[in-house]
Amino acid sequence: MLSERLIKVLNKELNLSDFNFTEETTANQVPGWDSLNHINIILAIEKEYSTKFKGIEILRVKNLGDLQKLIDSKTAQ
Amino acid sequence: MPESIDFQKLLELFQYDKFDPLLFGTSLFLFFFLAVLIIYRVFAQNNALKIYSLIFFSLFFYYKAANYFVALLLLSSILNFYSGKFIFKTASQNMKRLILTTTIIINLGILVYFKYTNFFLEIIMNISGGEFEPLKILLPIGISFYTFKAMSYIIEIYFEMIEPTDSFRDFTLFIFFFPNLLMGPIDRASTFIPQIEREYKLTNHDVGLALFLICSGLIKKYVIADYVSLNFTDRVFEFPLRFTGVENLLAIYGAAMVGYCDFSGYTDLALAVGLLLGFKMIDNFNRPFKAYSIADYWRRWHISLSTWLLDYLFKPLQISLRNMRGYGTSIAIFVTFFIVGLWHGPNWTFILFGLLHSIYLIFSMATQKYRDAFYSKLGIKDSKVLRVFQIFFTFNLLVFTAILFRTPSLEYFSHMLSQIFTYFHAEVLLQYVEAYPIIIILLGFAYLMHYTPLSWEKKTVELLSKIPVVVQALILAVVIWFVIQFKSAELQPFIYFQF
Repeated sequence: MLSERLIKVLNKELNLSDFNFTEETTANQVPGWDSLNHINIILAIEKEYSTKFKGIEILRVKNLGDLQKLIDSKTAQ
Repeated sequence: MPESIDFQKLLELFQYDKFDPLLFGTSLFLFFFLAVLIIYRVFAQNNALKIYSLIFFSLFFYYKAANYFVALLLLSSILNFYSGKFIFKTASQNMKRLILTTTIIINLGILVYFKYTNFFLEIIMNISGGEFEPLKILLPIGISFYTFKAMSYIIEIYFEMIEPTDSFRDFTLFIFFFPNLLMGPIDRASTFIPQIEREYKLTNHDVGLALFLICSGLIKKYVIADYVSLNFTDRVFEFPLRFTGVENLLAIYGAAMVGYCDFSGYTDLALAVGLLLGFKMIDNFNRPFKAYSIADYWRRWHISLSTWLLDYLFKPLQISLRNMRGYGTSIAIFVTFFIVGLWHGPNWTFILFGLLHSIYLIFSMATQKYRDAFYSKLGIKDSKVLRVFQIFFTFNLLVFTAILFRTPSLEYFSHMLSQIFTYFHAEVLLQYVEAYPIIIILLGFAYLMHYTPLSWEKKTVELLSKIPVVVQALILAVVIWFVIQFKSAELQPFIYFQF
């Protein structure tokens, strides 16, 4: 399940309001989430959760479900 | 008395010939390919036999094009197959990274040795002031393509996107696969390898699509690209000073389309050949001149290379430099496009090509916010007028870089520009159109087709899928006949308008 908190960050960074994010959603399905903008979204998430991902951890993320799991694993520590 | 068969000649057909590789579109290729297809149909039930016949034919195909360099293919397969296994089995993250880095260095080392040794030696000699004697290093054809293909396998294992295959046989087919061996598309292990063990089945849609790709590939490659370059653009690019500015300008716009038709035409044929063998490869082009920005262009041009570099070079760089925000992304763009330039060949023209693209992209990224705000103020942000203007503007930026893609050196590049700016002679245009109507018609046709909606293409494929086999064969025969007319047409005579 994607958390409200993550969806809020995504909506804010991407200037979206009613996009239906699911665990299977990948970046290229979301309007405005391109390779140049990608990094701003990652930085915003790191800031929101006061955490720091490893490069390889981000590269292994395939969809929003993976991203949520990664955040959960960091915040559980 | 009938003449006896010349066995010597027959044998030569199977031997390496520097000037006669088995290119798609040659009758010899067609003959061999039909033989492979028949074996394929006959042994449709026996997967192993099918796979081995493809491996065998692919090795033969590469031998015909590159002689003893066929050993390099084997070396690349062994190296990356076992490296993939080790990366997967090793538990320690540091060890995984070490194996990955070492394998990438070996892969790139081989590539750099064959492709860039002379280029780098020349630079060193120029700096130190010594005499430069190029070393005699033959380039193994297709090496940039299959090296990148092999590297995608180990990188995807490292990123945990795939698990390594247990079958060395399947892996060699991934590396050797002849339809994409010499010029791509650079397929990914994650999409290609699972197709190997799949049952061979051709749907009506596959046949319709293959027919469409063969027809469009043959027309793009042999009618438009070969004919226009031979009779027009090559001549101007080789001797720009012999032509007026208007001819130089026309040749530049022609060369942009010729370059696209040549590469995407070849790719269409490769995709069709793969499809008939039951393999769906990555598409490489999506009407690149319809791009509304340079970033959009790189999502439409040589897609298999640009996504490769995006995923395995740009993103890792961008992520590791993320604390520098925009600057980090700019550095990542700059490095990526330096590699894009160099990948195309050891020439300063390509490096400048990459540099220009990185400047375009960085400028576009830095000004995006302000441009969007400006368009919103004018009330045209999502309008069609703006989109058309953006496409037109992007196209002209691209054409400018296309000169660098085709010109033999920076000196010729400056010659072309100086002819355009100082020796234009607009009146020659009409004379030119009258003298070479076929060239103008072909280029006009190519541009017109390029800007038709993509849905027309889909509808054509659907239609071709539904018609009877006899009609399909008839269409193919007509297209082949048409192509032969152009292939065997005599060269258009040279005319120097400035005299």
